[in-house]
This record gives sequence, C-alpha cells and structure tokens, in this order.
Amino acid sequence: MSAISLEKLTKVYSTGVRALDGLDLDVGDGEFVVLVGPSGCGKTTALRMVAGLETISGGTVRFGDRVVNDISPRQRDVAMVFQNYALYPHLSVAENIGFALTNKKIPSAERQRRVRLAAEILGLSDLLNRKPAHLSGGQRQRVAMGRAIVREPSVFLMDEPLSNLDAKLRVQMRSEVLRVHKAIGAATLYVTHDQVEAMTMGDRVAVLHGGVLQQYGTPRELYGRPANLFVAKFIGSPEMNLFEASVSGDELVLGSQRLTLGPAETVLAPYRGRKVIAGVRPEDLELGGGAGGAALGADVRVVEMLGSELHVFFAIDAPAAAASALAATAGEAEAGLLTGQTLGGVARLDPRSAVRSGQRVTFRVDPGRLHFFDPDTGAAVR
Amino acid sequence: MSSSTEVIAPARRETAARRAPGGRRSAYARRRGRSGLAFVTPFMIVFMLFMIVPLIYAIYQSLYTTKLIGGTTFSGFANYSTVLRSGPFWGGVIRVIIFGGIQIPVMLAIAFFFATIFDLGVAKWGRIFRAIYFVPFAVPIVVSSLMWGFLFDPAYGPFNRFMNAIGFHNFNWLSTNLMVPAIIIIAIWEWTGYNSIILYTALKSVPRDVVEAAILDDTPLWKIILRIKLPLVRPAIILLVFINTIGAMQLFIEPTILNNYQAGVVTNTWTPVIDIYSTAISNGEYQLGAAMAVVLAVVIIAISVASLVFRNRRREFT
Amino acid sequence: MSAPALAPPAPPDQAQARAETRRERKRRERLEERDATIPVELYGLRQGTVTLLTACCVLFAAFTLVPIVWMIINSTKTQANIFSSFGFWFARPFEFFHTFANLFRDVDGDGTYARWFYNTVLYSVVSGVGATVLAALGGYGFARFEFRGARLLFAVVIAGLLVPITLVVVPLYLVYAKVHLINSIWGMIMPSMVTPINLYLMRTFVELSIPRELLDAARIDGASEARIFFRVALPLMVPGLMTVLLLSIAATWNNYILPLIIFSTNNLFPATVGMGLWLQHAGNSGDTNLFPLLVMGGLVTIIPMIALFAILQRYWRGGLLLGSAAN
Ligand SMILES: Nc1ncnc2c1ncn2[C@@H]1O[C@H](COP(=O)(O)OP(=O)(O)O)[C@@H](O)[C@H]1O
Ligand SMILES: [Mg+2]
Repeated sequence: MSAISLEKLTKVYSTGVRALDGLDLDVGDGEFVVLVGPSGCGKTTALRMVAGLETISGGTVRFGDRVVNDISPRQRDVAMVFQNYALYPHLSVAENIGFALTNKKIPSAERQRRVRLAAEILGLSDLLNRKPAHLSGGQRQRVAMGRAIVREPSVFLMDEPLSNLDAKLRVQMRSEVLRVHKAIGAATLYVTHDQVEAMTMGDRVAVLHGGVLQQYGTPRELYGRPANLFVAKFIGSPEMNLFEASVSGDELVLGSQRLTLGPAETVLAPYRGRKVIAGVRPEDLELGGGAGGAALGADVRVVEMLGSELHVFFAIDAPAAAASALAATAGEAEAGLLTGQTLGGVARLDPRSAVRSGQRVTFRVDPGRLHFFDPDTGAAVR
Repeated sequence: MSSSTEVIAPARRETAARRAPGGRRSAYARRRGRSGLAFVTPFMIVFMLFMIVPLIYAIYQSLYTTKLIGGTTFSGFANYSTVLRSGPFWGGVIRVIIFGGIQIPVMLAIAFFFATIFDLGVAKWGRIFRAIYFVPFAVPIVVSSLMWGFLFDPAYGPFNRFMNAIGFHNFNWLSTNLMVPAIIIIAIWEWTGYNSIILYTALKSVPRDVVEAAILDDTPLWKIILRIKLPLVRPAIILLVFINTIGAMQLFIEPTILNNYQAGVVTNTWTPVIDIYSTAISNGEYQLGAAMAVVLAVVIIAISVASLVFRNRRREFT
Repeated sequence: MSAPALAPPAPPDQAQARAETRRERKRRERLEERDATIPVELYGLRQGTVTLLTACCVLFAAFTLVPIVWMIINSTKTQANIFSSFGFWFARPFEFFHTFANLFRDVDGDGTYARWFYNTVLYSVVSGVGATVLAALGGYGFARFEFRGARLLFAVVIAGLLVPITLVVVPLYLVYAKVHLINSIWGMIMPSMVTPINLYLMRTFVELSIPRELLDAARIDGASEARIFFRVALPLMVPGLMTVLLLSIAATWNNYILPLIIFSTNNLFPATVGMGLWLQHAGNSGDTNLFPLLVMGGLVTIIPMIALFAILQRYWRGGLLLGSAAN
C-alpha cells in the first residue's frame, strides 16, 4: 500500500488556468519521490494540493487508504519545507523548530528534547538562539527542515528547498536532505526544476510538463527509456540529440547519410517509408568509424573542454527534429527553442580525443542505443 | 599623497560620496553632487523660509517680553518660567495625554481588528468595506466636528434624544464630563479607517508561506494573529502610535468647533494648542504663546523619543 | 471582395474589444487576488464566526456612514425640520436646491460659501501641485545622489515631522506681519508646499522603484541629469507623485488653523474657516437659519475629496509610509 497516492489529480485556478491535469502518482512508504519539470508546469500546485493548502478541482489524494481531499491541512499530519523556507522571522531557531510542538501541547521538557535532537541531526546546535535574519541561506534551509522533522510527520513535502542556495552548497545539501530522509523515514514528495537534482536524489522521478505527467519511473528508466520527446530532451545534460529521419528498408536515412539499423529494424516496421525522429545520447557517439555499428559523418563546429570530458558540437545535413513533432509534447515555446538550437548535435567524448573544430569526423553509433519517437505524437517508438 | 589632500580630507569626512582612488572626490563625483544639490534646493529653500525661519523666530521671540509701558525687552527665560508654572497649561497637556492615551490604543485595536479581517479575507465585500472605512480620511476635521456636533447637540441632536428615549434624562454628550469621550468617538471615527488600511497593507506583506507553515503546524487562528502576524507588523504599529500621538497632542479643531454647540465647556486653556492660540493670537501675547509652543514641542519630542527608545530596546528583527 | 465590406464595422468592434479587456483585466485581478488569499477554511473558522465578523464590519461601516447619511438627509431639510424632525429620515418640504442656491449668496454678512469654496480649491490645487513638484525633485535628489550634507539636510527635514504646526503657525503670523504676507494667498500656499512627510514618501518611492543602474545606463548614454530626471525617472514616479498629490491636496483642503490665523479678510477664507465662522455666529447669536447652510456646505466640501480619492485610488501607495512599495 502506498503512503501517498494521487488519482487523476486536477487543478483549475479561478482564472481558468489548468495548472494540473489528471496526475496519477503513488509514493511508497519511506520512498523519496521527486516531482520534476520546468518552471510553471504545476509542481508547486500539486504539492500544495497534497498538503491541503490548495483546493482540489478534481481527483483524489489518499494517504494510505484514507481519502484526505476534505481533511484540513491541520489534520493531515504533513510537514512541508517551503521554497523560501517560511521561517517565523521574529522567533529564534529553537522557537521556530519547536513551534508546532507548542501547538500540540507537548510538555516543555519533551519539546526541548526533540528540538535539541533535530538540531543535532541538522548541525544547528550552536545556533539555537539566533534569529533567522542572522543565519546563512544553508542554515535557514536546515532550520526549515528541522521544523518539519520534529513533528515526525507521516508525509514530508519539499518545494524546491535547495533552489535558493548557491551551486556548491546545493550539491552538498542534496546528500544532507537524503540523510535526513533516511533518518526519519517518512514518505517524501520532493519538487525541483533541476533534473540533476531529480536524478541524483529520487528513488523514483515523475516528470511533469504543462500540468501533465510525462513519465514516472526510476532515474535509470527515465534516462534509458524516455517515454516521449519531452522526457528525452529534459533528462540528461547535454541533451539528447534529435534528428528528423526517414526509414527506408532496413536503413535509417539521415540527410544524405544512411545508417544500418540491424535489430532495431523491427520496431520501426510501421514507419517504413515515413518520417521518424531519431535520438542519440551524446555519450553514445564514439569517435572512429568501422566495426560493430553504423557510421555517422559530421563536421565539428565547436569543441568544449570540460576537463573530465569533451563536448563536441557538430553539424550534419539532416534537419533537426521538426517543430510540429516537438509541439505535440513540448508546447509551442519549447518547440521553437528546441528546433532553433541545432542543425546538428553534440557528442561527449574522452578528453584525450584529438578533435579540432572544422574537422570532419566519423562517429560510430550502436543502433541499439538509438531512441525513436513518433513525429506526430512525440511518443517513444518501442 | 600631497599634503593638500590631507587638509581637505577631514573637512569632507561627512560626505558619503564615492572618492577617486587618490582620496579626492573625482570631478565626476563632484558634478554629480552638485546636481543632487540642485534637485533638493527648491524644497530646502521653501522649507527653510517657511518652517525653519519661523521656528527660530519663535524661539527668539519667546525670550522677549512686551510691556504696555516700556516696550519690548529681553527677559531671558521669564516666559518659560511662566509657562512651566502655569497650572491651566499643564492641565491642558494632561488632558490631551489622557485623550491620546485612551483614543490611540482603542482606535489601533479596532483598526487592527478590521485590518486582520480584511487580511484574512473573512468578510465578503472586503473591498467595499475598506472603501467605506477610508471615507472619513477625506472629510476635513472641521466638517466632521460639525457633523458630530449636530449629532451630539444637547438640544436636538439625535444621539441625545436617543439617550433620553432609553431613559437617560438630560443626557448631554457635550457636557464637561463627556466632552473628552465625545471627542474620542469623533477621533476614532476620523482615523480608524486610515490606520486600518495602513495596518492592512502591513499585514499583507507578511509572507503567505509563513502563514501556511503555521497552518500546517496546526496553529490556532488566534495564535497566528497574535503570535505571528502582530509581531511582524509591530514596526507599522509603532509608526502609527508615533503619528497619532503627535496629532493627539495638538488637539484643537474638534473642541473649538464643538464649543459652538455647547458653550462653556471648552475653556481657553482646554488643550495646549487652544491655549497657545488664545494667548498668542486672541490676547496678542505672542512671546508667551511662542514659549508655550516651544514647551509643547519639547513635550512632543520627548514622548516621541521615548517611544523610539522603547522600539530600539525591543528590536528583535529587521 | 468581402474584405472591404467587412472593414467598416471593425473600429467599433475593436473599441469594444478594448473595453472588454479592461473589464477582463479587472476580473482577472479580482480572481487572482482570490487565488492568492488563503482560503478561510484553512484557518479553522466556523461559518458562524465568519458571519459574526462580517456583522462587525457592517456595524462599523454603519458607524462610519451615520454622520454622512445624516448630513445628506438633512441637507434637504428646512432649518425647522433639522431641529424637530427625526434626524435619519427625510421631511417635507424638500429644500435641497433652495439651500444649495444660498451657498452662492452672502446670507448673514459674513461671506459667501461659493467664494470660500473657490479659495479652498485654489489653495489646495496650487499648493498640491507645488508640493508634488518640490517633493519629486527633493525626493529624487535625496534618494539617488550623494552630496555633502545630504544626510544632515534630510535629518533636519525629518525632524520637522515632530514640530507641532502651532510652533510654526504662530511665528509665521509674526513673520508675515513684517513682510506683508498677512492676507496674501501666498502666505497660505507656500507653507503648505513643504510637508516633511511628502519628501519622506517621495524618497522612499524613488528608492524602491527606480534602480540606480537605470539612471547610470542613461548617463552612459550621455543624457544630462535634467533629461534623465524628466525622461527616465519621472514617468516611473507616477504612483508616488499621485500619492503625494492626493495627500497634499487633502492636507490643504482640510487645513484650518493656518488660514484661521493668517487671514483677517473673510473673502480669503477657505471653506473650513468660513464654516467655522458661520458656526460661531450661529452659536453666539442663535442665528439658527445658518444651520441648513452649514450642513449643505459640509456636504459640498467633502464630496470633491471623496471623488478625488475614488478616482486616484489605483495610484494610492499607502504602503510608502511603511517603507514598502505595496499599496
Ligand atoms: N494562485 C494562482 N492563481 C492562478 N494561477 C496560478 C496560481 N498559482 C499558480 N498558477 C499557475 O499555475 C501554473 C502552475 O504553477 P506552479 O504550480 O506554481 O508551477 P511550478 O511550481 O511548477 O513552477 C502556472 O501557469 C501558474 O501561472
Ligand atoms: Mg514552484
């Protein structure tokens, strides 16, 4: 049985904005689920409906087997960490953390014990008498978590808790958050717009776009088998390369080049003689043609040295995925952005590779590593 | 660095302007400073002429005495000692302190109550109520005193008739004992809406997520209001106490106007400003009036500073 | 072919569309405000409490409106009826227009209300505009320039907030006597133009709403300081200017003590002082036939102010007093 399950959860604001459309999601006991998507896709809305802060326009929210739609947030036993922390500015760290316990009429000794324990877990023991104004961003973030964990909630919600921290601290806090999650073991729904955060933290990750769930699965599934063009583009950095191609016999026609498909051919049977969108991850392109795969010739445009790896931006004469196909899943603005970007792609290579801009290179591609998407619906072809 | 900069630097210490690395203000900064001065000059000139000059003149005048025989002579602090020993003047000061001491807390409590209702969005038609409550702010005090004078009139005012009808015979809102309460009612009518709107603005700036966090913490409403919102708008409340105190200490128009409905209650020394007006303008003893005005200013400044000290001592957050 | 035929109706359509969008914007703003306030149920309030609180609001609204309603009702009555009839209902004869017409006549030899009203408008508008101009220049100067003595000057102005007006008004009278400003309209207008609070509000507004970078960008583009002020800063200062204008006009409109002291000619009185004079005469001599005029005069005095606040309320930034840009 799931700790949290959402069924056809829908939110239409009174302005008419449909912020969330039929979200189905379940979070197991003690599971850490990440809700990820670009800004404005309805993540906060979903989280706030789970908390009970936003009225539900349609669908149900269950905690265990109990429907909580009509239960006040006061009685839901949820704890939430807000994006801006929402600390009480006039109360000290200790008072902030212990505030909920005073409402529960928990005796002072017990309260102090729990506050001290939470402070210890979070490394706040020396700051208990400070006011939030005198804390750093990371410390405030910890206080916000402390305030949530003293309550020993059954459901733990976090709305972009790390997005106000600087890059370095953010990375550090990721493992911190996970450690706290392990310590309290509550089912957690974690919202972020950062796909790296989602991939590194989530037991499972739900990708949301335009209020609609795109895919829900483990990070490995999302990365390895994206359900549609949006997920393919959104997860992974640098992004997956997408090309408009057509299928002719057992070959994929990419501009003037032809790639032998091998076993992938059967999947594409329905697309024979038609267009399809082919995708390949940057790390699946290897330098040097020849044995065991199809070859793809490309002109190197820009080479970016990152130290641990080399990003090689290249051009081929195949058109990038058409706007219409991306629009099906990605929305118009997004589609414009995607097509405008490349008439080629990027490869992630060994930093020792000798590649210079202007050079003509041949990439070897394992056809089994290619992803295919329907150009009209954007759905993965499997 | 040359010695000339050493000489110039201390004289310019008070300026906050950016300096060139050499320690001298760059020509650019100086030009900018000059334009800044140009912008503030018109205000400052009028301010000096019509505020500072009269103020200094008042202090100067307060040190002189004009006698029927002998003309105007320097008399040092004679006027001040007259004021400081004047029972009626201090009686007036105490009266306005009592007036403010009751009116301001009562009004702020009412104002905070309604500001909270607006902020919570509890009442329907909040916008309409806010608009209505703000109306008295647009009514000149002379006119509001006039209206309330009619309503309180001992002979035919509806409020006195009402009191008579429910059994209080010969009730008079404008009698000696009830004049201060009557003016308190008028002042509450005049200022509650304005204060309430200011507090509402302050309450609105309490971040929504802080309140939501409190809700998730299962905080009862009274505690959200008194333990979270109230402390967070305290700077606004202190500011309002400050402004209202300065106003209350200068009570003048309401009693002056009401005096025309019920003669004999409001005396020439009823409030300090009435006292100053009748001394300086009606009686022509303007040097004594000036001394009274200076003393009143000192009292007001003392009260204000005291409240600021209180505020600083209790400052917990910024 | 059909295109030209369709062309003529287009402009009205467009006009209507524009009107629609304005109404729609209002609607959207209202709805957004609704979405942005926390639903009342979350506070754990019962419906009964909500009703009770609404009742409190109605009660206080009634308290607020009582004197105004009384004034509206009694502006239609004869002097006898003001005394004898029930105060909160109409009584025949309907004298509204008769009384209104009397505002244009010198009824008792003290002066004509219409003249006083004209003076009020004149003083308020001239000093209001003047105050706004001075505060705009000064507030901008203090907010966005650093110059020697700036802090000191500003502190002096702010200290002026604490000075009782009487401390200024009494000596103003004496100074005016020396420089022949008694019974001069400038003696009324000039001091009304320098309220310390205006400068404070304007400086706050500029600090909150005009970024330094914007001005620096204009400087790099080679604009003169005057041009920057008029073309870059001023358009952004409109809500602040309107707030100051509204407050200054209201302050002069309501002013009583300054004109009371500096004017001795009835012709120069503003409405407040004129009505005070009428009331004094009515009280002293029992000349009660002035009462309908006082009621009517009071009504006429407040209506323009209420209208002005209603019209300009969307620019109103009361939050400036608290040092925030909120309204
Ligand atoms: N209170 C509201 N009223 C109207 N629309 C809203 C409100 N809150 C959010 N929205 C809209 O709902 C959509 C989703 O918002 P949100 O859940 O905040 O997105 P996210 O958290 O993913 O960035 C957005 O288009 C946003 O404009
Ligand atoms: Mg969000």
